[in-house]
Amino acid sequence: MGMNILIVDDSKVMRQMIIKTLKMSGLPLGEIHQASNGAEGFESLKAHWIDLVILDINMPVMTGEEMMNQMRQQKEYSDIPVIVISTEGSSTRIQRMEQLGARFVHKPFSPEKIRDVVYATLNLEGGS
Amino acid sequence: MNQVITVGDMKIGGKGDILVTHALGSCLGLMVYDPAAQVGGLLHAMLPLSKINLQKAAQNPYMFVDTGVPEMFRQLYEIGGQKSRMVIKAAGCGQPLGNSEMFQIGERNYTVLKKLLWKNNIMLEAEDVGGVISRTVYFDLSTGQVIISSKGVKKEL
Repeated sequence: MGMNILIVDDSKVMRQMIIKTLKMSGLPLGEIHQASNGAEGFESLKAHWIDLVILDINMPVMTGEEMMNQMRQQKEYSDIPVIVISTEGSSTRIQRMEQLGARFVHKPFSPEKIRDVVYATLNLEGGS
Repeated sequence: MNQVITVGDMKIGGKGDILVTHALGSCLGLMVYDPAAQVGGLLHAMLPLSKINLQKAAQNPYMFVDTGVPEMFRQLYEIGGQKSRMVIKAAGCGQPLGNSEMFQIGERNYTVLKKLLWKNNIMLEAEDVGGVISRTVYFDLSTGQVIISSKGVKKEL
């Protein structure tokens, strides 16, 4: 069965790039859901079974950090792995999210970097 | 059989062949292998874009990254290679003359390669690029193993 992935980023172009990267990476993909801010992302989490969240930080309405905090506070979402893909420059903010269990990838990213982090996060064989 | 690929050249082969290229500085070395068909190719391209000399590119597409890479894939398809199975590794794209190098050829070779791959939905399996070193590549087409040798140190890519 494929992995269901939720991509939360306010840029549609960025979401499309991430989706293309996931398809190129040879992952066993299931459904891909998209949201343009943390609040929408959280609604999507409630509505679908999600195996992995790919999260931007700086978004309107609700930031990625706020969304992740909410996820970690609720038992049903607290152990869903999160990969943060962001231009964020504040190392304290990155550290806070890493302490909540997120892996961090800096934008601009290479598709290979995303592939390797996704495989490592999901403990899958493959990538390089 | 050992085959040497010189600058601005490409060779394909199959089981039993070892492809070798020397002195990869700013040039791109691209190794493509289909493990099921046991076929592969090695390209040693010199410059990023063919538009600077289309006539030369028509005579020898392997001189340029943007013409050499597609031509290598085409030839591999002809001998049984399939895109979905291909394992792609890159080497070279360095700055053998150091940071002062004016044209940044190595970096531009790498950028053009990455754009080409992205457009064609292909990812690199591994890479050993950049830096001020020169590299030699040994590519074993029986196994797909790529060995990079630089300053007397050998490592598997």
